[in-house]
Amino acid sequence: MVAALLVAPLAPLLGGTALIAADRSRLRIATAAAYGVALTLAVVALAAALLAVWKRPGIDHSWVPAIGMRLHLAIDGISAPLVVLTAAIGVLVVLHAGWREPSATYLGALLMVTGGALATFLVQDAIAFFLAFELVLVPMWLLIARFGDTTRPGERDRAATMFVLYTVLGSTLMLVGILVLVVSAGTSDLTHLQTAHLSRSTQTVVAALLMIGIGIKIPIWPLHSWLPAAHTAAPTGGSVLLAAVLLKMGTYAVVRLVVFPLPRGLHAIAPVVAVFAVAGILIGGLVCLVERSLKRLIAWSSVAHMGFVVLALMTGTTLGVQAALYGNIAHGVISALLFVVVGGLKKRWGDDDLQTARRALRQVSPRLGLALVVGFAGSLALPGLAGFWGEVLTLFSAWSPGDRPLTLFRVLAVAAATGSVLAAAYALRVLRTVWAGTDSLPDVVTDGGSVVAQDAHAVEWIVIAVLVAAVVALGVWPTPLMHQTAYGLAHVSRVLVGGAP
Amino acid sequence: MNPTFGWLTLAPVLIAAVGAIGVLLLDALFPRLGRVHWILGALLLAGGAAAATPVLLDSAHRPRATLCTRGTCWYTVDHVGAGLQLVALLASACVALLAFPIRIPHERAPIQVALLLTSTSGAVAVAGAHDLGSFLVALEVSTLPTIALVVLRARHSAIDAGLSLLTTSLVSFAVLAMGAGLWFAATGTAQLESHAALQAGNNADLRRILVLAVGFIVAGLAFKLSLAPFHLWMPETVGASSVPVGALLSTTSKVAAVAGLVAVFRTVTDLSSASMAAVGVVAVLSMTVGNLMALRERGALRFLGWSTVAQAGWIVLPFTTATADSGRRSAQYLAVYILATIVAFSVITALAHAEGRQHVTRIASYGGVLRRHPFLGGALLLALLTYAGLPPAIAGLTAKVVALEPITAGHLWLLAVIAAANAMLGVAAYLRWVRIMLGASMDPEESDRVHPVHTAVVAVSAVALIVCSVVPQAALGLFG
Repeated sequence: MVAALLVAPLAPLLGGTALIAADRSRLRIATAAAYGVALTLAVVALAAALLAVWKRPGIDHSWVPAIGMRLHLAIDGISAPLVVLTAAIGVLVVLHAGWREPSATYLGALLMVTGGALATFLVQDAIAFFLAFELVLVPMWLLIARFGDTTRPGERDRAATMFVLYTVLGSTLMLVGILVLVVSAGTSDLTHLQTAHLSRSTQTVVAALLMIGIGIKIPIWPLHSWLPAAHTAAPTGGSVLLAAVLLKMGTYAVVRLVVFPLPRGLHAIAPVVAVFAVAGILIGGLVCLVERSLKRLIAWSSVAHMGFVVLALMTGTTLGVQAALYGNIAHGVISALLFVVVGGLKKRWGDDDLQTARRALRQVSPRLGLALVVGFAGSLALPGLAGFWGEVLTLFSAWSPGDRPLTLFRVLAVAAATGSVLAAAYALRVLRTVWAGTDSLPDVVTDGGSVVAQDAHAVEWIVIAVLVAAVVALGVWPTPLMHQTAYGLAHVSRVLVGGAP
Repeated sequence: MNPTFGWLTLAPVLIAAVGAIGVLLLDALFPRLGRVHWILGALLLAGGAAAATPVLLDSAHRPRATLCTRGTCWYTVDHVGAGLQLVALLASACVALLAFPIRIPHERAPIQVALLLTSTSGAVAVAGAHDLGSFLVALEVSTLPTIALVVLRARHSAIDAGLSLLTTSLVSFAVLAMGAGLWFAATGTAQLESHAALQAGNNADLRRILVLAVGFIVAGLAFKLSLAPFHLWMPETVGASSVPVGALLSTTSKVAAVAGLVAVFRTVTDLSSASMAAVGVVAVLSMTVGNLMALRERGALRFLGWSTVAQAGWIVLPFTTATADSGRRSAQYLAVYILATIVAFSVITALAHAEGRQHVTRIASYGGVLRRHPFLGGALLLALLTYAGLPPAIAGLTAKVVALEPITAGHLWLLAVIAAANAMLGVAAYLRWVRIMLGASMDPEESDRVHPVHTAVVAVSAVALIVCSVVPQAALGLFG
């Protein structure tokens, strides 16, 4: 059982490294072989992750005593859904890569990002958490810089560099916060960081440092400016991993490093952060109303959705944290779906400009059209789809925010609800332009292929179908996930206000 | 009363120092050996390293002392000191091996080997020196031969660089001597020991002199460690000297300076926070200047020179809070830095030997190096990521944690935030080189095979770096 814990992150990490190294050396491997190997490794990681989630084994070994870092891996109710999400997305992105001849380096980088993210959710040691956090940087940078948008190389390079630099700054600030916690708690065990005895003022400083550091990763407005650029430039697989997995690492870090160990510090800064989060919701929504690039639009909608998650976390209530964890998973699935669809559209169209008049997607490629409708419906939090529960619970928790300033949080709840309306508006805008299309165009497909060949087939369709199913399943049957997180929270935390919903 | 002699304790210094004379004698007897001297030098240094292995120490609390008269010992090596000696000797051994394949006139090889051995013995001696006299002498013994090594390349630029290094050394010696004089005035003893410093610290007047003394000594050492604002010689000298000598300047010479800092700060653990803050300012200034200049630098060797300036800032960062283990933390960061530096310089030496120095000293020429030389390119990539502190180079990342921890434990928020910003700048600088490596190919006009000795040095040091990335304790544990 213990082996499953190690295999889940190490198989994709080492396998990915090997694929990249093999692609560099003189014995360049065939695309098909690389694809087979990568898919096998991703499936192995998913199997190991599922096994670990089911059996809940644990490892705790000394690793680097000089800095107090331990090899401590375990799964609890908070990390279990994220582990499953990451491993599943890992399989889907590798599968999806088969749509267009992938190079071994591309597959290796996808695997390494997946492995690093799995490691982040599995480690129970605060310093190793920072290490795992950094693991995804270089492969993700490689994905954007090497395999990104070839039409605008200058912008792509800038986006890749911005991504790395912002994230390194954020994670180093996070490291500073982690070290303060570890030194004063005398342990680096994530679940025992609460024992750190810090004065209220120190807690506030550390919480602020951590929130700025992690806020870059999540991202919270106004620290978000790397995200739209990175998403626009990244290849489809990279975008999916970025939205579905990497952003989740940020919110997970807030739960582990700020909400639990620093309740008094969080109490002091929560109103400010919550205001920024709601500003993100509103600004993200407004930008989406006018944004021309479809990929960039979805990136901005991510900023808005992560605003909901952060607002929920800032309430400091059990309901809030549950809403955040649910919203996390929901956004992971929905954004993965949207980026797969939009990435596919961008490949077919040559660009992703919404101003260009195009034929109706529902006629040209009905499958992609359906997926786009489900994705945006989930994104606007339609009841019965994944996005609904996270946002509704967030609004509930912000309406009765425990020991936070009541009036402020109620105002914020109203503002966030307005943000939901904006989400509906921009979702309908996109669906009207893309799904319904322009009728006046002649019946000729401009880039040559037949109408039917344009639709999603084979691996692309499988990936889309799985994600659509997940969006629907999470929407109509939220209880298993809710139970999972409630159970996890009950075990981990004594600092949250209010019981389980 | 006669002083005691612990031959084994003194062995790391003696093997290198006597070896230097031995090499010259051997050359007098057998004048045609030529480059074989390099192998001999490497063997001697490896032998010295074996004698310096910290495992031979009883425990961290019982340092090895010798040359003792009336209760005071003139040479003491604790765990940190022994670790520094080991690192310096191994680095110099690698330098000797790197220099071996390079074609130079027959008669010059033994001189260069002797200079290398002398410089190393000086650096090793600093780690054991416990009084001002031997401290100063050892520091100069480690510095002066490097000037000759730089100049012996006999190019215009090398002579200019040697002159710049000479001027720097003279100034730093003057500053150090000034500091030593003030130290003697404040404590009344030439010994670098803590209770004399403690007594001086209790008297308000003497305390001021002591702070001044420490300030001067640290400034003198900052010259040698190439900390901003005393750093200008570093990129110039590394860019102009032969590649193995550049490696020596970036590794063994830095060990000497850090050993000096460790010796000073071990004695003054409770000095005023103002002087400690000065160290912090110098540290973040070095990081910032080094990283910003590296961002714009086009020459590979000069880039590494600027990178050394930035890394030197990280190396002294732990001294900002003078706790008992800040010396150890500094040494731990230094060890990881030196390992990465040896890998980087070995790769550049190997490439310079195969593709020509003109080609290799431009960063732009590294495009496609991963295709031409996947192994060398991969090693260089790992070294650059170690400098940047990015996984998969976990060694570099743990080193950053080691250096940052005292700052955060001391709640020095501003310093911590500037250091974090510099972690970002560093990543920008090093990833620029990585980008070029992954980018368009720049093949050389003609290229030889890589010399097997160079390949071996790269292989051994790269494997060591990989081991330290899997088990970082292997490097960090050298210092207890």
